[in-house]
Amino acid sequence: MKINTLEDLIYIREVGLKKLKPRDKVRVSVGMATCGISVGGDVVFEELKEKLKNRDDVLLTKTGCIGFCHVEPLVNVFIPGKGILIYHHVQTKDVKKIIDNFSEAEKLDNVLCQIDKWYHITSDEIVYGGGFTNIPRWSELGFFKPQRKLVMRNSGIINPEDIDEYIAVGGYSALFKALKKMTPEEIINEVKKSGLRGRGGAGFPTGVKWELAKNEQSDVKYVICNADEGDPGAYMNRNEMESDPHSVIEGMIIGGYAIGAHKGIIYIRAEYPLALYRLQKAINEAKNYGLLGKNILGSGFDFDITISKGAGAFVCGEETALIASIEGDIGRPRPRPPFPAQKGLWGKPTNINNVETWTNIPLIVKKGGDWFRGFGNEKSPGTKVFSLVGKVENVGLVEVELGTPIKTVVYDIGGGAPSGKKVKAVQTGGPSGGCIPTKFFDLPIDYENLTSVGSIMGSGGLVVMDENTCMVDTAKFFLDFTVDESCGKCVPCREGLKHMLFILENITKGNGKEEDIKTLEQLSETIKTTSLCGLGQTAPNPVITTIKYFKDEYLEHINNKRCPALVCATLIEFEIDQRKCTGCAVCAKRCPVKAIDGIIGIGETFRIDPNKCIKCGTCLDVCKLGAVIKTSKGVVNEKQGHTSSY
Amino acid sequence: MKSKDIQVLINGQEFKAKEGELVIDIARRNGIFIPALCYEESLKPYGACRMCIVEIKNEGVKKKITTSCTLQAFDGLSIETDSEEVLKHRKVLLELYLAQAPNSSKLKELALRYGVNRTRFRQKIRDDDPLNNSCVLCGLCVRVCSEVMSAGVINFIGRGEKTRVNTPYFEQSELCLGCRACAEVCPTGAIEFRDDGDIRIAASWSNTKVELKKCSMCGKYYAPVKLDKKIDTLYYYKDRDDELRDMCPDCRRKAIARKMTLIAENEVEKYAK
Ligand SMILES: Cc1cc2nc3c(=O)[nH]c(=O)nc-3n(C[C@H](O)[C@H](O)[C@H](O)COP(=O)(O)O)c2cc1C
Ligand code: SF4
Ligand code: SF4
Ligand code: SF4
Ligand code: SF4
Ligand code: FES
Ligand code: FES
Repeated sequence: MKINTLEDLIYIREVGLKKLKPRDKVRVSVGMATCGISVGGDVVFEELKEKLKNRDDVLLTKTGCIGFCHVEPLVNVFIPGKGILIYHHVQTKDVKKIIDNFSEAEKLDNVLCQIDKWYHITSDEIVYGGGFTNIPRWSELGFFKPQRKLVMRNSGIINPEDIDEYIAVGGYSALFKALKKMTPEEIINEVKKSGLRGRGGAGFPTGVKWELAKNEQSDVKYVICNADEGDPGAYMNRNEMESDPHSVIEGMIIGGYAIGAHKGIIYIRAEYPLALYRLQKAINEAKNYGLLGKNILGSGFDFDITISKGAGAFVCGEETALIASIEGDIGRPRPRPPFPAQKGLWGKPTNINNVETWTNIPLIVKKGGDWFRGFGNEKSPGTKVFSLVGKVENVGLVEVELGTPIKTVVYDIGGGAPSGKKVKAVQTGGPSGGCIPTKFFDLPIDYENLTSVGSIMGSGGLVVMDENTCMVDTAKFFLDFTVDESCGKCVPCREGLKHMLFILENITKGNGKEEDIKTLEQLSETIKTTSLCGLGQTAPNPVITTIKYFKDEYLEHINNKRCPALVCATLIEFEIDQRKCTGCAVCAKRCPVKAIDGIIGIGETFRIDPNKCIKCGTCLDVCKLGAVIKTSKGVVNEKQGHTSSY
Repeated sequence: MKSKDIQVLINGQEFKAKEGELVIDIARRNGIFIPALCYEESLKPYGACRMCIVEIKNEGVKKKITTSCTLQAFDGLSIETDSEEVLKHRKVLLELYLAQAPNSSKLKELALRYGVNRTRFRQKIRDDDPLNNSCVLCGLCVRVCSEVMSAGVINFIGRGEKTRVNTPYFEQSELCLGCRACAEVCPTGAIEFRDDGDIRIAASWSNTKVELKKCSMCGKYYAPVKLDKKIDTLYYYKDRDDELRDMCPDCRRKAIARKMTLIAENEVEKYAK
């Protein structure tokens, strides 16, 4: 069927609502974004399918990720009249309990919360129920309370593989409005008014960028969705595509209409097979409904989207390298000017936006630029999704209004560092962001503020570091990544970063000199100032900020050959506290290089041969008595677990 | 489309230029030196070596330090080629170059010009480097070979600090014309060619061998056979005198001179009659 009129759209909406909120059936949906699948969501789904195959009182579906990755697998159970219950840490053995007796649903012990109502924004608030007694509402949980779900408006609720459910929650009504009631100029004005800034990193005003592309005269233009997402530990975009692919597609069609492009390309890394699959499925579904292709919604506007797969190079996220990559050239940045808006893909005017930028578009068109400005702060309206990872209790995807203080994200949402450790810093902006110490944790997160303390917004990575994180090692870790990912075109980035890494390696091995700090600072400045693309221009940030805020740690490594956080392998020793050791020999058995010797049963005889020890930390992790200790020139830390920073 | 006439200031001195012209071209035309390792007028701007940085003096410009080989001139643009800031960065870059290509005397010369006579950084020396530890990966050879010669013999191999330039899989190339254009443009003198009898050996390019053509007069080997054919297809020398076609430049010059003399003698004889 092709959708042409409002009636058509309303008809599909009703069809979708019946699946999303069945009147006479229980709906069970499993969180099956990559994060959920990786901890067993798919196995739970299969078990449910098996157990439910003869039951017609239950509708089984998949959903995306609601963001609370720490407690996955998640299963949502919607019971008509009562609402949605979310179960956490669901395993196959729990399946029977869940589906056997829905009238006792809230009595199971792994209930996370209930969803009474949900505002999908593009439709009126949907009331699912709220009838479970003594179960907290989702919005009351510490993890969700400070969050504001604009981008993730449908994530973890609707089935991302069913366009009807997207339409049920108001999907494609913004497109309908745009094509039927608005001119391209009006759309661009609305986007400008919203103050939306690019979520891919640099924060360039989206409306202004669209206008540049619109004003170029050309019969062929392109819009591109940048889904390269190469930052280690960042998976916001992946989730947006896996949990709500139509929101990206709807945004792109509107963008195409606004700038006068008839072709859209999604550039996505091939390492995201599920996102690829769901996007392709969504594109096909949209085509079937006449939402893509010729004469969309009967408006006369033609638009198609194709997917272009990248090989996962970080630098291919840079827009000119991305274009080169699509053209089949080496993924290396090209000098600007000309800018993509003037001469982009195949020399034609091209508008590139990040996945998350695109998902905001339907909201702005539907609700208006002024409405959007009601979120976030003056210079940075709206929300941002962050992937909260590292030494933090509640790992997950969190969406907050821009302007939210760092501490709200780290402590209120994230729950601080695990096992009561002290948080030391957060690193924002991916591998080339800076490390922000706790003294700045009152800082509202926005583009300018992050820059003012030496970091960047980037695409939204947020890595928490605690007292067991060595800041020199951290800087080395990120630099190791950027050295690896530098395309090698320009000298400051290619050669300069490499020498910075050499120097950092020396320092962490205890071979540093005090003048190394000055050399690192000089190199950083030149690399930032003279590199061709954003990779080199930002890559020194982790080094600059750790020197600025944690210089004492550098000096400890250099002058005292000591790693205060007990991380840098060369500078630490493992020892056995013979008073605590009972001679159980667990450590000796597990030591990969047989460095531990002793007479079984006699604790005083156990010792580690420092010449053989490769400092893997296994003994420390396996000793149940805490008899293995880690030291570095007088710094001793008993039983802290030996994991490197990442 | 005719571009507008504009005025730009380079190191405080006014120069006439066309709008959109590259600053490095304006400077060169007026005899102002800007070091550049990856720029060549006949090729598209590339922006890799970063040596050509200049400082923009105009108010309101966010990025003050930028490369002059990609900077398009506008009316009133004011730049400095050797400001304190520029020199500071250029010196660090030169140190990086000295570490990357320690054997290039051309680079050492350039570094000395800026007072850089040593590098703090670990020098990269490979015993088996076909480019004699002199390549700075400016890409000029790669670009001239594909953009100008349409041969596409060499390219970048690998990524990041592991990048190298050579033939695919370091195998001898069948496409090389032996034109030596690559060696000609190389700013560091890294590329080595050697002629041995009737073959030219591209020593740097995996010892690729190209056949040379013999002069029909003196018997000297003077130009690659493939290059000769390529020139035929490119420029279509139909009216080139057949007799001259297969001669080396020396013999050709002599042959032409002789012909001229003959004609002249004929004229004289005619006149005398
Ligand atoms: C090294 C590098 C990597 C980048 N990676 C991404 C990426 O993965 N995704 C993205 O959207 N933008 C990335 N960007 C930013 C893009 O160049 C571009 O600014 C962005 O896609 C524009 O979209 P926006 O205006 O919606 O942010 C990267 C930039 C650099 C320099
Ligand atoms: S995105 Fe995160 S919260 Fe959602 S299913 Fe995946 S891992 Fe879990
Ligand atoms: S740290 Fe690893 S190698 Fe060293 S003694 Fe313990 S188990 Fe053995
Ligand atoms: S000599 Fe060979 S490699 Fe060099 S430019 Fe000519 S064709 Fe290319
Ligand atoms: S060989 Fe010469 S021209 Fe080719 S990349 Fe290296 S330095 Fe540049
Ligand atoms: S490789 Fe991108 S800045 Fe040098
Ligand atoms: S000449 Fe300008 S960057 Fe190389």
